[in-house]
Amino acid sequence: MMFKKIFSLIVIAVLLASIITGCGQKGNNAQTDENSQKNAGEQVVLKFLHKWPQPQNMEYFEQIVKEFEEKHPNIKIEMEAVADEPIKDKLRIVMGSDDQPDVFFSWSGEFARKFVRVGSVLDITDAFNSDSEWNNSIMKAGIEPFTFDGKVYGMPFRINGKFFVYNTDLFERYNLKKPQTWQDFMDICETLKKAGITPIALGNQFPWAACHYLTTFNQKLVPQDVRMKDYNPKTGEFTHPGYVKALEYLKLLKDKGYFNDGVNSTSHDMAHQLFYAGKAGMIYVELEEFAQVEENMSGRWDFFAMPAIPEGEGNQKFLTGAPDGFMISAKTKHPQEAIEFLKFLVSKESAEKLVKTLGWPSPVIGAVNETNAPKFLVEGMKALESAEGMALWLDTDVHIKVAETYLAGLQELLNGSKSPEDIMKEVRQTAKTVQSEVD
Amino acid sequence: MRHPLQGEYRVKMYADRRLAYTYLFPAVILVLVFIYYPAVLNIFYSLYRWSAFSEKKIYVGMHYYNRLFKDPVFYVALKNNALYAVISLVFQVGFGLIIAAILEEKFMRKFQAFFRTVYFSPAVISLTVVGLLWQLIYNSNIGIVNAFLKLIGLGNYAQDWLGSSKTAIFAVIAVSQWQYTGYIMILFLVAIQKIPYELYEAAMIDGANRLQMFFNVTVPQVKEMILVCTTITIIGAFKVFDEVYVMTAGGPGRSSEVLATYLYRSAFRNDEMGYAAAIAFVIFVITFVLSFLQIKLFRTGADA
Repeated sequence: MMFKKIFSLIVIAVLLASIITGCGQKGNNAQTDENSQKNAGEQVVLKFLHKWPQPQNMEYFEQIVKEFEEKHPNIKIEMEAVADEPIKDKLRIVMGSDDQPDVFFSWSGEFARKFVRVGSVLDITDAFNSDSEWNNSIMKAGIEPFTFDGKVYGMPFRINGKFFVYNTDLFERYNLKKPQTWQDFMDICETLKKAGITPIALGNQFPWAACHYLTTFNQKLVPQDVRMKDYNPKTGEFTHPGYVKALEYLKLLKDKGYFNDGVNSTSHDMAHQLFYAGKAGMIYVELEEFAQVEENMSGRWDFFAMPAIPEGEGNQKFLTGAPDGFMISAKTKHPQEAIEFLKFLVSKESAEKLVKTLGWPSPVIGAVNETNAPKFLVEGMKALESAEGMALWLDTDVHIKVAETYLAGLQELLNGSKSPEDIMKEVRQTAKTVQSEVD
Repeated sequence: MRHPLQGEYRVKMYADRRLAYTYLFPAVILVLVFIYYPAVLNIFYSLYRWSAFSEKKIYVGMHYYNRLFKDPVFYVALKNNALYAVISLVFQVGFGLIIAAILEEKFMRKFQAFFRTVYFSPAVISLTVVGLLWQLIYNSNIGIVNAFLKLIGLGNYAQDWLGSSKTAIFAVIAVSQWQYTGYIMILFLVAIQKIPYELYEAAMIDGANRLQMFFNVTVPQVKEMILVCTTITIIGAFKVFDEVYVMTAGGPGRSSEVLATYLYRSAFRNDEMGYAAAIAFVIFVITFVLSFLQIKLFRTGADA
């Protein structure tokens, strides 16, 4: 009995000792941390959330963060990256918590606006306007979709346009040229289809893909002022006949067999593969994807914007595309430092590096130029700059509930299980509910 | 049997209620804080219109429940969950039991280890991996399902399994069967191995054939396990999320939506936390009633 007691006492003593020393060590660490912080002045930690966790992209951000930290030894950046689809959910959750990132990625338009509406985003108008160098370095088309009620809430990081990319080998083989009119475009599709080649690769597993088509069709078929009124959650009605027509144009492409089989179960990446393999003649992609296309097609491709639609009531010289960028949380404890970091992210120096290493289009004036960017990117940017305006992605430009109705409807449309009129009926219904709920 | 502890100790220990409660206390607190408190709070939340990122809550009363029962997507989801439950019962519990019984047959004993591993292995693969894997298998351009159908001359039946509203939910359910039948089978194997061999001997002497032995000896003897398995498959079917989310995300349209994915969509895409809470409450009621019924019907413990 005695031994047992002694033994258990020893065990308890050892356990206690390990706990105490464990804590003690931690305490020591904390102390040394504090010491080093004192040496470096007041240490500030900024949380940074973006949507490019892919290794090749992360490399760029790691470098930018490192450079920033070297220039600002008192600021430490805690970076986190979440991919494109999940960040849509993640942002909604963290923005409601006390654990908000100080600087975070956001799409422009309604996606950003819903955070602005509830007061989660820092107004950076003063900082931006008082710094003329910063102010003049960024394209107005990039700033505007981050401006709400005359106040600037975010900085554009990339500026994106949507283009048809085509396989020049295939086009030459069938004597096809860049289409000038909508009819040309339909003829090209028909020729390719008859030759046994899928005219357009579409991967609509995540339905934003078809939604980008609809973004363009809506813009081209509905007058600008009507569309803007409808995209505003407070006044959206969607009664203009152009909306139904826009869906009919998309349905036409599908019904004529111009898309690959199984669009709704094909991912966008798989659509890329179909195009690279020469199984599809064209694919509708964003400017930022040009670098990827070049990597796989090395010069055997070219691009064009969706041609004008003769019966369309919208401005035919618009381009589909939008900037995306970064915003600062209104709850940040270090607004000065956060603005400093934001400024660094969209500085010319960082932007040039972005263009050079990732081949992404930057809204920083002069960042994309002949010396640092491949030809296709320069040309794409020119097309963007010459456009008379931009149609922001439909799924990030309308209220989320309207967007969700559209997104689900598009898959049904491509399956043939819902008609354009049915979908618009649902959209109108949703828009009505949204009107009553938004304040 | 004599209790291992000496009488004096035993009485003391069992009489000391305070001690017993002290030991129970941490577990009770955990359950209260992490299960019951949120469950009650959830009901409260379902009465408000609010989004995850806004601090404002607007009282709407029973509005979301009214809307839910008029919402066609809710019925699609409910139907899909019911399909999930019925098909899982037939395949996982039904076939799982049959396969287990066959593997326990004398002539199969030699190969049992091999088949056990083969059938069980899908259950250990991560759900996301399984989802991506089957996306490729079902793919209409490069997938092997369609290629196989064409090979054996059934090309007419080849289709866009996950991309068509008619087949998407069944394609997803099929994957779950592939993944979990083996798991349930293992549970039955264990149960069957516990059946005393004398029962089979007695049945043999009475002249029962294999089928009669299965229905009159095996099935009644594993009744408890059948109850456990039906409960976990049915509750699982109503809570299913990952499989659907990874493979179709509820699409195309809303055709393969289940309650859990609809809840997720409402909460984190449509910014309607209140509506999501209402859906969560309905899922709670359904699973609660189902497990209650099952336990009552089988009168568990009484026959064991």
